[in-house]
Amino acid sequence: MSKLTGKNILITGASQGLGRAMSLRFAREGAAGLSLVARHIDQLNKVRDEVRKLAPKIDILVIEADVSKPRDIERVVATSLAQFKGHLDVLVNNASTIGPSPMPTLLDYPVEDFREVIDTNLIGPFLLIKNALPAMIERGGSIINVTSDAGQVGYPSWGAYGISKFGLEGMSQTWASELEETGVRVNWVDPGNMNTAMHRAAEPEEDPAEWTNPADVIDVFLFLASDESKGVSGKRFQAQEDWKAELARTTGTKDTK
Amino acid sequence: MSAPFTFTLPPELSAKEPPERRGISRDQVRLLVIDRASGKIRHSRFDKIDTYLRANDLLVFNSSRTLPASLRGCDCSAAHGPCMEVRLAERLPDDSWLALLLCEQGDPFGCGLREGMQIDFAEGLNARVMARDENISRLWKLRFSISGSQLVDLIYRLGKPIRYEYVSAPWDLDYYQTVYATEPGSAEMPSAGRAFTWKLLLDLKRCGVDAAYVVLHTGLSSYMDDELDRAHPASEEEYFVSRTTAAKINRAREIGGRVIAVGTTVVRALESVVDETGRVKEKQGYTRLKIDKQHRLKAVDALLTGLHEPEASHLDLLSAFLPAEKIRAAYEEAIRRKYLWHEFGDLNLIL
Repeated sequence: MSKLTGKNILITGASQGLGRAMSLRFAREGAAGLSLVARHIDQLNKVRDEVRKLAPKIDILVIEADVSKPRDIERVVATSLAQFKGHLDVLVNNASTIGPSPMPTLLDYPVEDFREVIDTNLIGPFLLIKNALPAMIERGGSIINVTSDAGQVGYPSWGAYGISKFGLEGMSQTWASELEETGVRVNWVDPGNMNTAMHRAAEPEEDPAEWTNPADVIDVFLFLASDESKGVSGKRFQAQEDWKAELARTTGTKDTK
Repeated sequence: MSAPFTFTLPPELSAKEPPERRGISRDQVRLLVIDRASGKIRHSRFDKIDTYLRANDLLVFNSSRTLPASLRGCDCSAAHGPCMEVRLAERLPDDSWLALLLCEQGDPFGCGLREGMQIDFAEGLNARVMARDENISRLWKLRFSISGSQLVDLIYRLGKPIRYEYVSAPWDLDYYQTVYATEPGSAEMPSAGRAFTWKLLLDLKRCGVDAAYVVLHTGLSSYMDDELDRAHPASEEEYFVSRTTAAKINRAREIGGRVIAVGTTVVRALESVVDETGRVKEKQGYTRLKIDKQHRLKAVDALLTGLHEPEASHLDLLSAFLPAEKIRAAYEEAIRRKYLWHEFGDLNLIL
């Protein structure tokens, strides 16, 4: 049974890693429309071709954009809504940057780099949500923000990235409470360590073979994008933990396993 | 055609900047309330609009999103061809566009605009000028080199919001959007709903005043031609009334609520899809419906709108809601009390 039949979904940072894995899985689960956003159009076009092979009938749109730029965000949302006739069901704020690699300590962090990280990882999601909400508020929808354990623990040298994720988690809570009376749910997911280009750049000394393949953490994203998660809002998920049991524990419902 | 009445709008009563740039929030503009039955006028502030609404009323909004519809291009089909501002007016069913072409130098229509011309824009976009519009002769039919969402993407990369001479600065597109805008397609902001904030919308919902949405992509309010603007031929505009919206309107009527159109565009769309018994149907199409004092309103009970210029067609539409002399009295009062006109100005609730 396809879990995303009829859904129009916008994913940022869709050209590689987690965003790419999500795009492919969502297409397999019957999504009606996918709007894939990233800075590099060549890589995005490759993902588009992979998606089309899996789901030839999908309404797919690729948009080259930098989510740190407000004008780009306005264009992304307008172009997606033009394609999807004003309807959007799911927004995944996945794009993020770690800033300079290797990551400097806060004492050495150049302010321009700090600002760029905050613009991409925090202001970008804020503006995307703000722009996309009108298309979701009437029919309901799901907003999924991708965070990190660095958004809960102040690790040394994860400076601006971690701070932006602390902000994103706080912002997600605020959106969730402000939208409580609407049909729009807001949740955030820590995907855990994954073997992605970004993570390899963040921790070049570590062995990436020990990290999970992004395709193996998508179940929780699928749950949140689908109608199965209706009524679930304001929650933090850890994709590589037993999130179903945790959800059941915090909501007092049965484990859906 | 003559206007139901005429007046002179003092230039200082044109809102030159968005309320947020005048030191107030978007929902703190003034609200002129006219009672349809008695003609009685009250002066209020927009964020107190709940005072005039009651449970079961339904606000119907136009959720069309404003395009950055002003593009700059040059005629490249001739050597040293002129450059011009292209103001997109309307997308046609065959994916061509109607647009107003304004020459950059000298007489805005005097630089040899002609059929067959090719206009080049930045980023590789170009358009072929097909023919003049049969209905509004200042408009040309254009066919762009790309279409669909690809074209929307480039319009957003290259375009700016259309700006009239009374607006003091080139404000960002964001200032030309309502908070609830979704699908892009309007040449100019459907501005009657600009003052709404999400907080106000959610507060009203809690009080039993629901919201429904139609899409009607607006065309241009001026063709930069006084004679043509005075005649104001009704342009043909694309609208979409969904099943959900039709059901909400019919339900509101059944339970005794009032249907309040937010903007004249909504009046046009709803009065185009209502039957003789007052039931609204789901429909998508183009309308050239002209609404004036002879028109018996069947779908709409009340109207929230801006203050209109002294020209025929908009004031004509208001005269479907109440007699011309009552509108004139209210407008005289609005001028005396220095209400502000145009897209960033004050609002008028007629109910």
